[in-house]
Amino acid sequence: MNPITKVDDLLDSRLMARLDRLDVISRKIFAGKIQGERRSRRRGQSVEFADFRNYSHGDDLRFVDWNIYARLDRLFLKLFLEEEDLSMVIAVDMSQSMDGGDPHKFDYARRLAMALGYIGLVNNNRVSLFGFGAERVERLTGLRGRRRTREMGRWLLDRTADGLGGFTDGMRTIALGGQGRGVLIVLSDFLFPDGYEKGLNYVAGRGFDVFALQLLSPEEVDPARHGIAGDLRLIDSETGKETEVTASTAVLSQYRKSLETYIAGLRDFSVRRSITHQVVETSLDMDTLLLDYLRRRGLLA
Amino acid sequence: MMSLAVAWLAPFAAAIVALSTLPPLVALYFLRLRRTRRVISSTMLWKRATQDLRANAPFQRLRFSLLLLLQLLALALVIFAIAQPQVELGGSQASRIVFLIDRSGSMNAMDAPDNQSRLDQAKRLAENRLQALHGGGLFSGPAPSVMVIAFAKDAQILCPFTDNIAQAIAAIKGIQPTDETTTLSDSFELARAFTTVTNPDKPTTIAVDAPSYELFSDGRIADLSQSVLRGGERMVFHSIGKSTTMNAGIGAIAVARNPDRPDEVQVFSRVVNWSNEPFTGDLEVVVDDRLRAVTPQPVNVPAAQEDATMHIRVPGETQVVFPSLTLPKGGVIEVRFSKHDLLVADDRAAVVAAPPSALRIALVGRGAFVMKSILEGMSLASLDLFSLAAWNEKMAANPLLPDSFDVIVLDDATPDDLSRGRYLIFHAPPITAGISPYGTKENATPQSIREGHPLLQYVNLDDLFVSSMTAVAAGGDADVIVESGEGPMMMTLSRGALTFVYVTFDPMESDWPFQRGFVNFFANSIAWLAAGGSAVADEPLAPGDVAKARLPAGAKEVSMLIPGGTTLPIVVQDPSNISYGPLRTTGIYRLNWTAPKGQSGPASLAYAVNMNSRAEGRADTAEEVKFATERIAGIQGGASAETSAWPWLLLAAVAVLFLEWWVWLRRV
Repeated sequence: MNPITKVDDLLDSRLMARLDRLDVISRKIFAGKIQGERRSRRRGQSVEFADFRNYSHGDDLRFVDWNIYARLDRLFLKLFLEEEDLSMVIAVDMSQSMDGGDPHKFDYARRLAMALGYIGLVNNNRVSLFGFGAERVERLTGLRGRRRTREMGRWLLDRTADGLGGFTDGMRTIALGGQGRGVLIVLSDFLFPDGYEKGLNYVAGRGFDVFALQLLSPEEVDPARHGIAGDLRLIDSETGKETEVTASTAVLSQYRKSLETYIAGLRDFSVRRSITHQVVETSLDMDTLLLDYLRRRGLLA
Repeated sequence: MMSLAVAWLAPFAAAIVALSTLPPLVALYFLRLRRTRRVISSTMLWKRATQDLRANAPFQRLRFSLLLLLQLLALALVIFAIAQPQVELGGSQASRIVFLIDRSGSMNAMDAPDNQSRLDQAKRLAENRLQALHGGGLFSGPAPSVMVIAFAKDAQILCPFTDNIAQAIAAIKGIQPTDETTTLSDSFELARAFTTVTNPDKPTTIAVDAPSYELFSDGRIADLSQSVLRGGERMVFHSIGKSTTMNAGIGAIAVARNPDRPDEVQVFSRVVNWSNEPFTGDLEVVVDDRLRAVTPQPVNVPAAQEDATMHIRVPGETQVVFPSLTLPKGGVIEVRFSKHDLLVADDRAAVVAAPPSALRIALVGRGAFVMKSILEGMSLASLDLFSLAAWNEKMAANPLLPDSFDVIVLDDATPDDLSRGRYLIFHAPPITAGISPYGTKENATPQSIREGHPLLQYVNLDDLFVSSMTAVAAGGDADVIVESGEGPMMMTLSRGALTFVYVTFDPMESDWPFQRGFVNFFANSIAWLAAGGSAVADEPLAPGDVAKARLPAGAKEVSMLIPGGTTLPIVVQDPSNISYGPLRTTGIYRLNWTAPKGQSGPASLAYAVNMNSRAEGRADTAEEVKFATERIAGIQGGASAETSAWPWLLLAAVAVLFLEWWVWLRRV
């Protein structure tokens, strides 16, 4: 995959055209700040009937169902689903652990963020981008509309994966940042030395419909088939710590078990907190991911 | 079927090296790993994986590594090389092994490596072989018992069957070279005497523990065709020397005095060439260590020829006659090559020429005209005539009277005392010396004649006819040299101080006095008896012979000066009968003594011992030994029966190291 040097490298026109048909969906109905194109649990002024409730003092009489009153002699208020905008937050892991793999994990994450953000912008959702992993959490918030696409792309283009950890801080910043409730898509490998639990707990309890997309390079999924062999001194790109490994059959087998256990642990942790977890191998074609995988997982429709 | 047997010369050294190198090498693989640095996203999962594997294990499990395998292989090859494996191509080892080491004259050829003689090489190889057999090792079987026999003209057990390797090696090292001829049958008899056990309770049962022979020889063994290997016996022939070694030597030497000019001698020699090429060289004549003559032109000897009919090699020979030398006092005359070849012993031959001494002769008895005439014709110091009665009377007065004469001729007379002296006896049997007559025989002619006996030199007995002779029974110590169908006609006997030649008939009752051979016989007998009854002046000894001497009564401080300059004292019981020997090496031996007071005469006697090149001079190593029933191929090149494998192992180790280096380079 070509390195990313310009905005167009993040999202080509062909994929862009195909993404125009997609929209971000949420299993939850959120209250947006402005009226948007999205159903909200908030009963409002849309044309789609939602429910009745007893009239109480102060209610707008314009929403009283007079037909019901005529039949039952009781005041009921017609409740309509109000269409709100969707807050779509995309959090990109900028830690050094993302700076590796073939295809490059951070590039893949930026392309994916670009594609998802584009879908959000096209559908008039409120898109916010967060980058965590650096000394501070970087953000680009309040994007709406197709015209903000290039701005979003430039922002992503300027991001680099050279941070240290920062997942917990990033999630806390998002949870407390007043972004409104919406869809939170976390793009990370979730390989954090201090764990992912605390960070996910921050956003899991804040009403976000969280999607945890775990990006793993092919070397991480199947190291034996991607050049990991012999006697190695593995250096952690994030911490710099060295680990001596002899890539024997037993060690590789044990690694796969550890990876499966780790993924299973993240998945279990996510399920328990209504977080959608999806492992994405960076060798997976972006079209397939967006048009197939994420649709099946309910993020896109 | 060929079997492969491996002996280890230094197994303990290899074990020490293995213990000191193999564990460290393996430990290095526990400790030292050449790791490739690689940056990855996160080592978290790898840590978890390796931690799980390392849990509860003090060491990591030794995993397959091609480098470790190659290094172990190289180290193992080096260790095996240090153990000095000897690969033997042959059958299984016997429980008893007889080392037969040839120490004959041809084994002195200097064609072994490092300018050594064949005997030195044979001893070294035998020692190595012995150490290989007793090399031991953790998995080796019991070492065989070893006997060491050195053989040449005869065999000698230097070490009976023993398990003590030090004793056997010492015996091997102690083998001294000889210039003797080579016979092997005695060795077999000796070895079999030790390996054949007869049960006294079951005399018909013979238990034989067949030995295995290790023959270290050049293969030039005279009696091979009369020897066989018996059932169960094995032989490994270690061929010593080179098959290309050629030799020429002196086959014979003789000296004769000019009868007209007694102070002059003429030297005759025969040069023998065993080479495939004609031999050309100069010969020198040395008298008492002084060069006296050189052949006027190089001697040419034709090359040896193969006799296709007899399947033998016939050496080329040339007779050499030197000009007369003036030798008024006698001395040691030596003929030698001006340049030595690889076998030095036969490059020279010597003879001890006696001074032209005049003899003192006594004629006792009838004093037949013929005998008296012959004696008067000889150049004698004195000739005394005695009747039998007068002789007996003088003997009664002086028992040492025979010592006053060099030879006493008894013409049909039997003295009362015949205990000492040298006699030429005709007709009357010397009863007092143990010769028993039992009648008279008539019309006798010689039937069996000992050709070549010194007494019969130039004596033709084909036409001898004896009308009457005394029939006698010869004792066991008598040496019959002419025998008729009716009994002995001529014999010699040497017993203590008594030596005589006995002719059982009266020459006057035969036609012998009319033949020239009678005069020659008479002269030969006088010369033989005067010289002591053994070697005549012009007949040197052969290696292995015994030197005999008759010293004056009362001779003391007898010693033998052997070649090399060493003087060995001799304990003498009877000065009149001294034996010394065997004289195993060639050269000049001098018997010295102190004469009793009042006696004059020489107090030294020289003996020349020559190696007959015709008998032992063939120096090309045989490629096989041919017994009567089988042939055994020799191990060529003077090598051991075992081939040292350590050079090949070291070479393989180097190759493996190169391979390991190459693999390592590819990985780095």
